[in-house]
Amino acid sequence: MLSCSRLVAPKIDWNMLRYVIKRLISTLPVLIGISFLLFFMLRMLPGDPAQVLAGQMATPEEVQNIRHQLGLDRPIFTQYALFLGRLVRFDLGRSARTQNPVIEEVWARLPNTILLAVAAIILACLFGIPAGILSAVRPYTWIDYLVTSMALFGISMPVFWLGLMLVVLFSVILQWLPAGGTGTWKHVILPSITLAAFVVAFIARMTRASMMEALAQDYTTTARSKGLKESVVVVKHALKNALIPIITVVGLQFGLLLGGAVLTETVFAWPGLGRLIVDSILARDYPVIQGAILIFGLLYILVNLMVDLVYAFVDPRIRYD
Amino acid sequence: MKKMAIHIKRILFISLLVMGLGLWSAPSGQGAEVKELRIGIGIDADTLNPQEQTTTLIQNMCDLIYDTLFYQNPEAKLEPRLATRYEMSKDGLTYTIHLRKGVKFSDGTPCDAKAVKLTLDRALDPKMRVPLRFAIAVIKEVKVVDDHTIRLELKYPFAPLAATLSLTICSPISPAAIEKYGEGVREKPVGAGPYILKEWVKGDRIVMVRNENYYGKRPNVAQLTFKIIPDDATREAMLRTGQIDVCYKPLPSNVAALKADPKIRVDMPLDTRTIFMGLNCKKGVTQNKLVRQAFNYAVDKKAICKKILFDTAIPMEGPVSPILFGYHRMAHQYDYNPDKAKELLKKANFDFNQTVSMRTPQGRYLFDKQVSEAVQAYLQAIGVKAELRTYDWPTYIAGLLKPIEQSELEVFLLGWGPLILDADMGLYGQFHSSVNPPKGLGAAHYSNPVYDEAVEATRREQDPKKRLELFKKASEIVWDDCPWIWLHVEKFVIAYSSKVKGMVVTSTEKFYPTYVTMD
Repeated sequence: MLSCSRLVAPKIDWNMLRYVIKRLISTLPVLIGISFLLFFMLRMLPGDPAQVLAGQMATPEEVQNIRHQLGLDRPIFTQYALFLGRLVRFDLGRSARTQNPVIEEVWARLPNTILLAVAAIILACLFGIPAGILSAVRPYTWIDYLVTSMALFGISMPVFWLGLMLVVLFSVILQWLPAGGTGTWKHVILPSITLAAFVVAFIARMTRASMMEALAQDYTTTARSKGLKESVVVVKHALKNALIPIITVVGLQFGLLLGGAVLTETVFAWPGLGRLIVDSILARDYPVIQGAILIFGLLYILVNLMVDLVYAFVDPRIRYD
Repeated sequence: MKKMAIHIKRILFISLLVMGLGLWSAPSGQGAEVKELRIGIGIDADTLNPQEQTTTLIQNMCDLIYDTLFYQNPEAKLEPRLATRYEMSKDGLTYTIHLRKGVKFSDGTPCDAKAVKLTLDRALDPKMRVPLRFAIAVIKEVKVVDDHTIRLELKYPFAPLAATLSLTICSPISPAAIEKYGEGVREKPVGAGPYILKEWVKGDRIVMVRNENYYGKRPNVAQLTFKIIPDDATREAMLRTGQIDVCYKPLPSNVAALKADPKIRVDMPLDTRTIFMGLNCKKGVTQNKLVRQAFNYAVDKKAICKKILFDTAIPMEGPVSPILFGYHRMAHQYDYNPDKAKELLKKANFDFNQTVSMRTPQGRYLFDKQVSEAVQAYLQAIGVKAELRTYDWPTYIAGLLKPIEQSELEVFLLGWGPLILDADMGLYGQFHSSVNPPKGLGAAHYSNPVYDEAVEATRREQDPKKRLELFKKASEIVWDDCPWIWLHVEKFVIAYSSKVKGMVVTSTEKFYPTYVTMD
């Protein structure tokens, strides 16, 4: 006879669900706002996309032909209305350069961007949070000064320079890791370290400040006076209370990593969204720029929502009614 | 029939082809097979439709997939490819092109006269997006004579027509692929070249494999992998560490170090591209020829080539690149002479209180901004107030193409690289009055009827020796008029593992690894 365990339906937090749905609905006006600003700001840029595509020697008629094909000869508000109409149908249009659907262009690179951002944020948390805690627990000692100096170094160091130095050391001299490209886990190491360096510094500084504040609170003194071990006091009492600002910083930095890895992608020949956007700006490929930035916007909003939800798990006092 | 016979009589059969005994042969090579050649490049392709392409590197890739009608070798000699020979009528208005028999596209479709007509008709169709259409706009009509012969009717005599047919834009595309994929051929290219597209991972790599049905000698390299590595320094590091075999355009500042490395070979033939400071001949202070000549004397081009470009360029000594047919080194040179420059400005009653407006693109040409800054400093050194503005390329190009009434250009940096090894595209394409914006990119707005007549004559004349003389005459006129500060001729730099032997590198910034061997 087969034994079967009793299946218990998970308890649904209706308040939370309602909150999530409300937040998701509220992303729509934000996305429309982004699309509006983006659309009109792009059109304010000097330079004619039809001319870029037609080439330097094209006749005015040929340029006009392309302008017509791209719909750029219509009134600007008509263009925007058509863009919004397509957006409702989840159609981001076609790239002016490659004629491929924008969604395909973005989709081909998005997984690489997310992989790099996730690897970098994990690395940053693994190093940044312990460093910040150590620094807060031993304030004004050599450990604290070391962590603070390293953080300053990380924030000040140009990403481009750090990336190239890592390439010289680990690829050219030691020949341990590939200098660029994708394909294996080894390819992820150098770009994620480069990208993480800046974020580690931020997280370490935020953790230090937040932990120092928590360690000075009455509940920490109470915990110590109860005779708890210092490690328990630090991790269970102080860190738990100090986590909210740290989570906020991690969330914001993760959002930035998704969109701000252009230099790292360039140095390590990493085919991500950042480079796609830069190349598209240089070619005035409006549909790709719009599509890619809208997707960034959406991802950023979702990351923020996740952060808000994590607050509730970390701090039971936070309720989403 | 009689008409045809008369027509044939009129045709002067010149075996222009030009070109040695290799003429009727297909490309060939030999050596142990190379399984994969990894080539590091800086940009991804936007389209692999040869007619939509303007970037030389991607045209180079298209050549490997499609093959061209003719091929201009590094010595500027025309060799047969999909076309074996041509004949030109006496009046220079009709070209009969004989195609290679028995050639098939990689999808099995015959590469015949109908396919070539379809290709050229598409390239000439104003509704199609063909940025380099101007290069073949001389063709009025394409006619099929028989399965392996086409006839081109020209609008006017055009001596470099045969060389023009070596352009990527004329590469035949499989009619079956056009029918099947439509404009999707830009991602699913089907040609008759030595390679077939195997994989295209956007932003990461483009992989080609050998076309086993290629009409020519079997390619020696089984697979070509173009890895997209945008950063020059990373590309170079990957070459040094053996992660790639070929590094396309390494940083000029590192060329000396690469040359010193015994594991690396650097090829750097002179390019067709000239870099210049355009001087508006119709507006502003540079209208005055004396001012334009003074600016030429004021700039030390040798120093720019040595100190800024690390000897990956040479100063211009004629109005086009020395590797072009029709080049002449000018007897009089504008050697660096600030005193003479000041003297000329004085003679021109130059107002030293006014500010000369300079423009430059950034990132378009090798060290473009730095070169412009150096020119600015040289002008300031002779007392000229010069203000330099930097633009990204789309903004810059929009400013260049304005008609003279709207043009704000005074002194501006630009490059010009003829696609074939003939001075026509340089001398006509930049200085004939018909190419003044907005019709063309002769952004200096140079216009001289005597020059126009001289350069038009080079197009009509079919005798190469006489053409050379006519080119000399035209060159001397424009050289004296100075519509540009004649800066430098770039070199095309490509570095690769010294194990690689037999790489063909051309002055039109292309390389052909089809028959390389590896130690």
